[in-house]
Amino acid sequence: MSKVWENIFKLHRKHTDEIDDILVKIPIFQDLNIREMNIIKRILHKREYKAKENIFNEGDIGLGMYIIVRGCVRIVCDQENQLLAELCEGDFFGELSLLDEAPRSAAAVAKTPSVLLCFFKPELLDLLERNPKLGSRVLFKLAWTIGERLKSTNEQLRALSGPARQNESKG
Amino acid sequence: MNDKSASLLKITLSAVTAAAFIIFLFLIPEIVKLVVIAALLSYILDPLANLLESRGMSRTKATVMIFSGIVMLLVIFYIVLLPPLFEQIKSLQSGLNPEQTSAMVSRLENVLVENLSFIGIKDLDLAGKLHGSMAHAGEWMLSHVLDAASLITSMILIPFIVFFLMKDGREFKRAFVGIVPNRYFEFTLYLLYKLNAQVGNFLRGQFIDAAIVGLMAVLALWLIGIKYFFLIGLFTGIANLIPYFGPIAGAALAIIVSVLQTGGFEMALYVILAFTVIKLLDDAVVQPVVVAKSVDMNPLTVLLVILVGGKLFGILGMLLSVPIAGFIKVVVRESIINYRKYRAA
Repeated sequence: MSKVWENIFKLHRKHTDEIDDILVKIPIFQDLNIREMNIIKRILHKREYKAKENIFNEGDIGLGMYIIVRGCVRIVCDQENQLLAELCEGDFFGELSLLDEAPRSAAAVAKTPSVLLCFFKPELLDLLERNPKLGSRVLFKLAWTIGERLKSTNEQLRALSGPARQNESKG
Repeated sequence: MNDKSASLLKITLSAVTAAAFIIFLFLIPEIVKLVVIAALLSYILDPLANLLESRGMSRTKATVMIFSGIVMLLVIFYIVLLPPLFEQIKSLQSGLNPEQTSAMVSRLENVLVENLSFIGIKDLDLAGKLHGSMAHAGEWMLSHVLDAASLITSMILIPFIVFFLMKDGREFKRAFVGIVPNRYFEFTLYLLYKLNAQVGNFLRGQFIDAAIVGLMAVLALWLIGIKYFFLIGLFTGIANLIPYFGPIAGAALAIIVSVLQTGGFEMALYVILAFTVIKLLDDAVVQPVVVAKSVDMNPLTVLLVILVGGKLFGILGMLLSVPIAGFIKVVVRESIINYRKYRAA
């Protein structure tokens, strides 16, 4: 009998460890202590998607970000079905929607059977109201993450525009 | 089975389950009534629990603290306000100032008999009928509104449900969202988020408004010197939840009592003046501040909603029917608006 309980607890531990391991890698939740991480885990939604299942469509109002715990997700441009990115375990997407309710700029489709954690705006606002200290730390980290992505986009643009300018000056 | 017939089966099963659930709810109106009241109370108290949580308290501690505060208020209510309330109901049961009432009613009866004898009005016995009906009204109030057994059951069950709804409300919401299919998951959360803001403001506004109007009515009637001022004020506050008819019902009750109490119309004029001032203050000052968004309903809808509420859940159903209908209207309106916005984006 005790073996049964041991196995059940082992299963539960394995499951929570998996989520913990993923969450500590997400910049927004880095530097949180165990108690704070437990608060965060309680407000996340866990969803399971089949292969080729739509997570969201291009144009839907975005409500928050998705973190990939297991599986792979394709970010595609709906009209041309053009692949923009392929994300796997530990990656996250849609974080801009935590700040505004703009329509999603691309669609997300599960490439393989996937498990995702969802962190949405109502929960972030609720966290800011109930636990302002933790809420503002998460918000600060979110701003930092978006800033980093903006910097990286700028660098990519500069890298792309460099050869183009050279071609223009040659022409 | 192909995809189309599978989804048709799914829709049919969902519809049958929903219909069975609604029929089941209609079979247990007493429990539904308790849960609805508890849900409304927990919804109204939720921001207070959030405020305490933001000061570093756990949700459970915050809920316990709010409950301690409510218990203290109830004890004060029990010691200070309940004895006069029961006294007022009992004195209503034994009849209103019998001598003066009889004199007033006899005068009215004489006038009616003198002027309307041509249509066959001779022996009305208004005094006897009125005395009987007032005693009956008192009995009815004791047996229906303050029925001891149901009051005790409600006093225990409602706080119990409110406590768990406040403490574990988020877990209930997460469990509900958890069973929504992936396709509608984000939209459901979006809708709940929008509804929470709209409905929360509406309900809290309505109840704060009713409390302020009730308090103003109690004060005004006490200053005028009307008997049963507390009972009528309480009724006016609760009736204020019903647009159009509520304020009139409160004023009419106060006018009837004042006429029966004094045997003249002098006091009734003060009552009319007081209720007019209260209504003006409510419209011009209280409502614009506390009621964020009103739910417009035409008088016929209000009347039908009150009748349905009364038929299904009795006196409490009549009083709560309009706020609940308002709640349903906000839910439906916001659902349609946000579904269009969500899909059109």
